[in-house]
Amino acid sequence: MSDAPTMPKRSRTSEVPPARRRSRDASSIGLNLTSMIDVVFLLLVYFMVATDFKKAEEVYILDLPDRVEGMSADPFELDEEPLRIMVRSAGVDGTSFRLAVDGPWDPVRDFDGLYDFLLARQVDGMGGGLFAVDHPIVIVPEASLHWEFAIDAFNAAVRAGYRNVTLQEISS
Amino acid sequence: MASIFKRGPARPQANITSMIDVVFLLIVFFVLVSQIVDLESVDMELPEPEHPAAALPEEEPRAVLNVLPGDDGDCDGYRLAGVDYPPTPDGLGALRTALVAIYQQTPGIRVNLRADRATDYRWVSPVLQLVRQAAGLSGTGQDAARMNLVVQRGGDSS
Repeated sequence: MSDAPTMPKRSRTSEVPPARRRSRDASSIGLNLTSMIDVVFLLLVYFMVATDFKKAEEVYILDLPDRVEGMSADPFELDEEPLRIMVRSAGVDGTSFRLAVDGPWDPVRDFDGLYDFLLARQVDGMGGGLFAVDHPIVIVPEASLHWEFAIDAFNAAVRAGYRNVTLQEISS
Repeated sequence: MASIFKRGPARPQANITSMIDVVFLLIVFFVLVSQIVDLESVDMELPEPEHPAAALPEEEPRAVLNVLPGDDGDCDGYRLAGVDYPPTPDGLGALRTALVAIYQQTPGIRVNLRADRATDYRWVSPVLQLVRQAAGLSGTGQDAARMNLVVQRGGDSS
């Protein structure tokens, strides 16, 4: 037995340098998600740009009674004479319009004027009017009239508070 | 203290799993919505009245009938439920048959009418006539065809 001092035994772990030991502990199977995230974000941006964000759409309610099949109507009920508003096409390529209200009324120039006319002729209006809010109003567009002008006339009547507004069909 | 620094300094990482979930959901949403919109909504310029008195459509069964815009106020046809019908007597007859079938399948359904602002009224009027006739021919007992005239919400809503 020698009295030479023995070196302390180093464990196997302590033989590895600290940096290599850390990398061995962290080694695990994993996916490289970077490229997938790139592709996914590209797809997302593509669909967001390609999507057409439209303005909200609104509707006017139009109920068309079936006059042919409507045999259940009261035969003794007197039909109110509807107020007929003629909208004719004017200008080059129908880019303008002309309004006429059937009856002994002053002519109206535009749709704001039509709105004022209809509002003033209402029973509850301030013009001493005759028409109730459910008085039938028939918009009579000309065949060559642009659809937007027919809608403008319809809008003027609905905006004035009338609830029984219809469009006259062109007789075939 | 020794146990705290046993594995070295902390390395913060973002958990991207939930982010990827959200991104994929957004993609699926955009894909589905774009297909649904293309099915019912034809690209056209709807009327945009000033001071609109229109209202948002109610949640109820509805069919969308598009008047396909042509050149100079003409019409290229009508589209209902993804099927195109030419603006001829035969095409209008087929459209009426399709409308009757829709009314019989869903009584009281509301028909949304979409037409371009520059389309002549002569192409819109037959649609009103057809819808009214189809409601009567369906034999469901309804005395009026319920329609919605679709417009675009304008900037001035006063």
